[in-house]
Amino acid sequence: MRPALPLIPLIPGLCLVPMGLILFGDVHGGGLPLLCSFAAAALHPSLEPSVLVGVAMGIRITLVVTLVSWGISSVLGCLLGVLGSKKIWRLWAGITWPALMLRKGLAPLRAVHELIWGLLLLQILGLNGWVAIIAIVIPYTVLLARVIADQIDCQEPPALPALQSSGASAVSVLLTVVVPAVAHPVLDHINHRLDCALRSSLILGVFGLGGLGTDLMLSLQSLRFQEVWTGLWLMAITMVLMDRVLRLFRHRWWMTPIPLVLALMTAGLGSSLTLELPWPNPQLWPFWNAQINGVQALAAVAEVNWPVVIASTLSITLMATCVSTALPPMLLLLWPSAWSLPLQSLIWGALRLIPPPLSALLLLVVAKPSLSLAALALGLHHGGVMGRVFIDDLQRERHHTTGMLKACGASARMSWLYGPLARVSRPYLAYATYRMDVILRDTAVVGLVGGAGLGWQLLEALSSFHWWLVLWLVGGSALLTLLGENLSERLQSCWNSRAMAL
Amino acid sequence: MIALLELHQVSLGQRLRPVSLTIRAEERVVLLGASGAGKTTLLNLCNGSLRPEAGTIRWKGYPLQGLKRQQRRCIGTLWQDLRLIDELSVIQNINSGALGRHGLLWAIRNLLGRLEPKVCLELMKEVQLEPALLMRNIQDLSGGQRQRVALARLLRQMPELVLADEPLSALDPPLAKDVLDILLTLPSCVISLHRPELMHRFDRVLGLRNGELVLDASPETVNRQVLEELFAR
Repeated sequence: MRPALPLIPLIPGLCLVPMGLILFGDVHGGGLPLLCSFAAAALHPSLEPSVLVGVAMGIRITLVVTLVSWGISSVLGCLLGVLGSKKIWRLWAGITWPALMLRKGLAPLRAVHELIWGLLLLQILGLNGWVAIIAIVIPYTVLLARVIADQIDCQEPPALPALQSSGASAVSVLLTVVVPAVAHPVLDHINHRLDCALRSSLILGVFGLGGLGTDLMLSLQSLRFQEVWTGLWLMAITMVLMDRVLRLFRHRWWMTPIPLVLALMTAGLGSSLTLELPWPNPQLWPFWNAQINGVQALAAVAEVNWPVVIASTLSITLMATCVSTALPPMLLLLWPSAWSLPLQSLIWGALRLIPPPLSALLLLVVAKPSLSLAALALGLHHGGVMGRVFIDDLQRERHHTTGMLKACGASARMSWLYGPLARVSRPYLAYATYRMDVILRDTAVVGLVGGAGLGWQLLEALSSFHWWLVLWLVGGSALLTLLGENLSERLQSCWNSRAMAL
Repeated sequence: MIALLELHQVSLGQRLRPVSLTIRAEERVVLLGASGAGKTTLLNLCNGSLRPEAGTIRWKGYPLQGLKRQQRRCIGTLWQDLRLIDELSVIQNINSGALGRHGLLWAIRNLLGRLEPKVCLELMKEVQLEPALLMRNIQDLSGGQRQRVALARLLRQMPELVLADEPLSALDPPLAKDVLDILLTLPSCVISLHRPELMHRFDRVLGLRNGELVLDASPETVNRQVLEELFAR
């Protein structure tokens, strides 16, 4: 039995059955009133002036962190991307090894989640706004550099050999042939990173690095649900506005440098207003003061039950990927009509809005901690991202086949299954495999609240200042992410489609 | 002969001026006209994929837009751009013609490749497609093979009336003859063509010019002068 393409995005939904059974066994009714009052507070957010001012301040800091980290990582990512391209080095010097060395050298920086960077930098720089910015800048810069280098290397403009044989200089060839070929997808990707940076700065805030995330976490922990919803609604408005602006720039990609310049200006303003950057104090550097002791270092490795920790991390990744991949097509088939797409977009937007640590905490109110619960929290958030990609793909498609199928007498559900779903499945699955790679990095986030996986072990090690264990765990996490990235790339080529430009 | 499709003062802006006509059971109708005359618009109005701005269309006396899905399958269309599902195999495409007669579970079984191929193989034989192509992806087929898959899908639908939009346009003469032979074995059809020399194989000729129905006659009465006027720019 070989399922056809439109069924493949639905198959991961089967994992909801065992997950549901496990969660059903873990549910306790005690927290249900709390969850109900959280849901009810959505309709009555707090409108007290002091709360509104506090939330506005939180959003301001989150936005400054977002824009500054996005601006800096975009500029640095472009530079490193050019330097990491084999094609560029071949044009310049006839060699490719510097590009390969740079790529290999940068890969571990990309593999460590921004939250882990944040927690590590917190130990070095102390608590200030630049911790969140640098924590986002490091992985985002390297990720963008990889995307740009890949884009440059995979382009084969027909004019390239013609210009090379005409004796044009490397810079002329680069500017005339290579840059126009990659500009559109790269600028699309840079725009997409802004949305990612906003979500990352919110998550970093949840873990105490300032901004709206911190406010949301504090309000949630003190059960002030109305205040939580004030923040979430205002954040939703901000996200919608940002999305509108990004859509505007998507059709005018040549205008992308404008928000980039604005972001860098914000960096200047931000640093002068609230985000003072103190010179790092070497006294705070944990490894600076730690005595190098090989026995201690080796002993730390044995303190972790690696097979269990790695298996739990992979289980969370797999389950969350299944949930996030299957939910959007399942909802479409439950509600198959063109007019429902905007409403479905709203649902995905709401799921994107709530950071996974908050949704994990909310789920913990009614169920015992488990891998399924952590996976559900992560899966719902990433389902929001996948849902957005899915709806965008559906809206881009021309639905000729739907009309044909309806004319054959097929029901609306069948028409969507055989028509638009079949059409978008290939790029959607390619994006899902890329997303799996992102989810693997994100397991650190729910691990920190869900009590499972590498993230939880890392938090324990950080809390007990066990630096050797921290080092091993960060290294293990990076290695696992790189392996996952490799697998994701192989799967993407299986679908004959790359998710890079998204 | 009972009236299958009745159009009364149907119009769609500049694309189609008010048209009234009746298509009866067991009637084979050819629709002639130059490019842009409104042939595709008229056929799309007849199969319900376009809504008229004015006028009414009835299928066996019932308003076309209000038909249930089981009734809609009685009108089959062979689209000019074929509208095959590129992501599916030949058998899955052919079976998609029968979705109107089955439920969602049958549709899923088709996608899982769990349906008996017997009916599809018979249809493939009828349209002269090699059985070896049954499981092939539709994208691997040539233009002529794709045309025949679309025809097999139409036959799988088992419609009472067939609407075919330029079905011979991309085919070589022997294949075009075969396709037309198959279409003319169907009980009732309306086929738009660019080739007036084939009109004698039909019972009735409709002619469109600039969105206006200017000819409705039997083939014997249509002479060369009428055709020249019909195709004049």
